[in-house]
Amino acid sequence: MKFLVILCGFLILTSCETVAILKDDPLNVRIPGGFPPIVYPEGNEPTKLRVELGRRLFYDNRLSANQTVNCSSCHVLSTAFTDSKTTSTGLAGLPGKRNSPTLANVAWMPRFMMEGGVPTLETQALAPLHDTMEMGMNMMFAVRELNQDAKLRAMSLAAYGRDSIDPFVVTRSLAAFQRTIISGDSRWDRYRQGQVKEMNQEELIGMKLFFSEQTNCGNCHKGIFYTDFDYYNIGLDEVYADNGKERASHKAEDIGKFKTPTLRNIALTSPYMHDGRLNSLEDVVAFYNEGGKPHVNKDTRIRPLGLTTEEQSQLVAFMKTLTDWNFVQNAQLAPLN
Amino acid sequence: MRFSVVLSAFLLLAMAAITSCKEKNPEQIVDEIVDEVDTPTKVAIHFNPLWENQDFLMESVYHDNFGNRIRVDKFMQYMSSLTLVNESGDDVVLKDFHLMDFMVDNSFEFEVPPGNYKEIKFGIGVPEADNKDQDPSQYANSHPLSVAGSQGMFWTWNTGYIFLKFEGKVDTTGVEGNELLWPVAIHIGDDPYYARYNSPTLVIEVIQGETKTINVNIQVDQILASGGSDDIDFATDMITHTSNNVQLAQAFMINYINSITIEQ
Repeated sequence: MKFLVILCGFLILTSCETVAILKDDPLNVRIPGGFPPIVYPEGNEPTKLRVELGRRLFYDNRLSANQTVNCSSCHVLSTAFTDSKTTSTGLAGLPGKRNSPTLANVAWMPRFMMEGGVPTLETQALAPLHDTMEMGMNMMFAVRELNQDAKLRAMSLAAYGRDSIDPFVVTRSLAAFQRTIISGDSRWDRYRQGQVKEMNQEELIGMKLFFSEQTNCGNCHKGIFYTDFDYYNIGLDEVYADNGKERASHKAEDIGKFKTPTLRNIALTSPYMHDGRLNSLEDVVAFYNEGGKPHVNKDTRIRPLGLTTEEQSQLVAFMKTLTDWNFVQNAQLAPLN
Repeated sequence: MRFSVVLSAFLLLAMAAITSCKEKNPEQIVDEIVDEVDTPTKVAIHFNPLWENQDFLMESVYHDNFGNRIRVDKFMQYMSSLTLVNESGDDVVLKDFHLMDFMVDNSFEFEVPPGNYKEIKFGIGVPEADNKDQDPSQYANSHPLSVAGSQGMFWTWNTGYIFLKFEGKVDTTGVEGNELLWPVAIHIGDDPYYARYNSPTLVIEVIQGETKTINVNIQVDQILASGGSDDIDFATDMITHTSNNVQLAQAFMINYINSITIEQ
């Protein structure tokens, strides 16, 4: 018996690596005033280590096939988690087909991808990872790489009770981190909370126009998130190269429909539209002012608006008040050293 | 007490030995009983892809009914709810999910209660409740619906399993020696394309302690040329990811179900 105890002790002391035992604690996520509470999926409530693990993976090149790109390659903090490109480039510079969407406030998003084909933030993580035009990585190869890292394994154990990284841990932790990407501190937010000097006259006129029946902008870009999370054809094309929601639903009535993007931080997320065809907010307002191209599925609210040049500028001025400068400098969302 | 139990057992064995046929001694009888109890009653089910009633070989070149030369490099499919129906009409579910890869053998053995069975049935694909809006990472790696187990048979951008992949190359000239240039890619998924096979009424006699063999034959040549309106000519129609070519996806699934025969 004594010999066995000594032997076990010897084996432990001589094992090739020591895995630290970490302790995890719940994380209190600060929700901006006026925002609804976040409904967390069972088993993935926020904890310090879940979020930290997800943050590490978000910036980890080991999640791509040739270890050159990671989530932040297309979702850059300084541009509100977009990438300033017309369409994103993935592995080995491969051109993607769509403009990178912002990740701001994805905790409240009911479905993911521009056609809404993905039901949860956890499942969404699989899409860019496996897409050969993005990260091109087989998840099982990724977890094999990640499991070489004792620190990550220890975090996995403490955060999720799993002693090795697996697809469950990768998807859950990435989602946990992304649910902390919260933006609700723009000048408009401060204005709505009573700091009326935050917005000038031009911006206020623009806001009135935005929510007017003349423009109907606020019909879809509505609520605290400036989106209704619904899907519309806004008359971008008469024939669509990318059919949008129809790809998922297989219904002709969905051709050309894409999810309404949030307008929060919109001044930082150029270029615009699903394929990044419009370079500036001025171009976007001009597009809507012209009323779009004819299409059987085009929303009836998209029609010539008759806005003057000055009114168009006022609309743009208002949208610029939705920029949250504290958000894009939030060190908690930046890569860990 | 213990002595009386042993004595009773001895007397019983002695009685059995006396009353049994003369060639068998008590040890033989006990052995036979043990054999009967230990030998499981099984069905062995083999899924066999065939071409014109011969074994269908992956990565070999075949001539289809349209004169095309075709080589199949990948043929995978989800099978769900593999079930035998007993004489009383009750389902005996043998397997819930399995990802079949016809590059390898697809044979299964299951222990079942002895008796007669009248039907074999299974689904091709993943039924609706387990398909759309599901998260493969919720399953353990060994599960066929997991990230690892699905082996790429999952659409991540529009969540749902790919029920069937049939990939290869085709030469539409039909001339021997010509390179097979054109890619064939049949990827079928989405709920409307989930298909169920129900065999005609059969008599499957499963005897206690024996293994009953059932062959599920899939006539690959008939999937492509059923002789009906759903014939598939790879010279004109060779790629579907389901939503981009529903006609080809539908034709393939209909012909697939119709190509299946059961042999005992």
